[in-house]
Amino acid sequence: MHFFNVIRWIAWKDLLSELRSRENISSMFFFALIVILIFSFSFSLDPKTSKELMPGIIWIAFGFTGIIGLGKSFLAEVHNDCMEYFQIVPAPKGAIYLGKFVGNALFMLIVEIILFPMFILFFNLDVLEKIPMILLIFVAATIGLSALGTLFSALTVQIRAREVMFPILLLPLAVPIFIGAVEATRGVFSGDPLPLYLDWIKLLIVFDAIFMVVSFWVFEFILDY
Amino acid sequence: MVVSRLIAKLQRYEGWFGVAAGLLIMVGLYMGLVTSSPDYYQGEVVRIMYIHVPAAQSAMFAYTVLFGGSLWYLWKRDPVVDNVSHAAAGIGIFFTLIALITGSIWAKPTWNTWWTWDPRLISFAIMLLILVGYLMLRTFLEDKEKEATYAAILAIVGFIDLPIIHFSVEWWRTLHQPLSISTRGVAIARDMLIPLLLMSIGFYLLFAYMLMVRTQMLYLQHLLEAKRGRMLSKVHL
Repeated sequence: MHFFNVIRWIAWKDLLSELRSRENISSMFFFALIVILIFSFSFSLDPKTSKELMPGIIWIAFGFTGIIGLGKSFLAEVHNDCMEYFQIVPAPKGAIYLGKFVGNALFMLIVEIILFPMFILFFNLDVLEKIPMILLIFVAATIGLSALGTLFSALTVQIRAREVMFPILLLPLAVPIFIGAVEATRGVFSGDPLPLYLDWIKLLIVFDAIFMVVSFWVFEFILDY
Repeated sequence: MVVSRLIAKLQRYEGWFGVAAGLLIMVGLYMGLVTSSPDYYQGEVVRIMYIHVPAAQSAMFAYTVLFGGSLWYLWKRDPVVDNVSHAAAGIGIFFTLIALITGSIWAKPTWNTWWTWDPRLISFAIMLLILVGYLMLRTFLEDKEKEATYAAILAIVGFIDLPIIHFSVEWWRTLHQPLSISTRGVAIARDMLIPLLLMSIGFYLLFAYMLMVRTQMLYLQHLLEAKRGRMLSKVHL
């Protein structure tokens, strides 16, 4: 079970260092909060329009938050010269990727779960019986974003214009996640029956599966250099 | 190094590709713009098709070459193939831009808008973004092998993503409103089909010609850099 131990230890290391410093999660959280506030100012939301715009605002906030958090994913490794150790450690390279991915996905999910009550508050949402479905959408979209984000974070971490290049590479490729997540969220909150938006959740899951496999495979080549 | 030998062989006939492309495009343009009949519904406007469709086909072909070259590079580490991919990306941007601009001009009289959220339009716009991101990533990485590997990874991930983007947008649009037009199943008259075919083949040949010239140029550029590096190290010694 060497493979799964590597995943567990790398994810655990990231979580532990985050628990001690709380740098990433707190900056992600406040950034998302500011995004929501800016949106409510710029659209002067009344109850009717806010219902329509809400799914988009949620996913823009989460997407930008993801960019802040995911982009820094490999920065600590570079600063502490850990990339070289990743190269020589006798562990499957794909497991290293999955470990980083699990850590990143957990960060994003934690921030999303902390933020969600804010959305209920600001947009006056009626959620109680919808929580399992919402959670499923959050998890499915977060997995896709983190799968691509972890890969691109490793690609861009060693270049000068890291902060610019990371979103430029990630956002165009993440279009299906945004479409799927926004449409599914809209479906849940407008009280549609499940079959109407189930296809969007399926799209998210297919996307997750494809890009976890692809990233898992190509990550090996990143660590070679 | 099978591929690099094949490329070297093809490059001997480089000029012929250029000549053939030029001839086909000239004949195709003459037939398309002058002798072919105007469209029943669209009138003379339809003639922009003879540029638009071949450019779009060549753009997609360029990305396919980029994808194939990237896979091959990750497998065999052949620097010549990396030059081909690098060249294909730049030329792909050129053809994608032509397709987007002519498409926009064509859309104004037929759909009455410069831009609509049509799946093909969005896929091409995103393809442009990915190709630009690809070239940007290449300029920011200094080490040659690292540059080639990282760029290849980006090209592969982007290529796999494009059909998913296309279908998700198509799906999203059909749920909100039906597509403005669909070209599927539209029969095309023979006097329009022949110039279109000539232009398509001409554009493919033009792409092949540009690809060979640009690959050669990138090769010379790397050679020059390597020589400069060697000369510099001599000076310092």
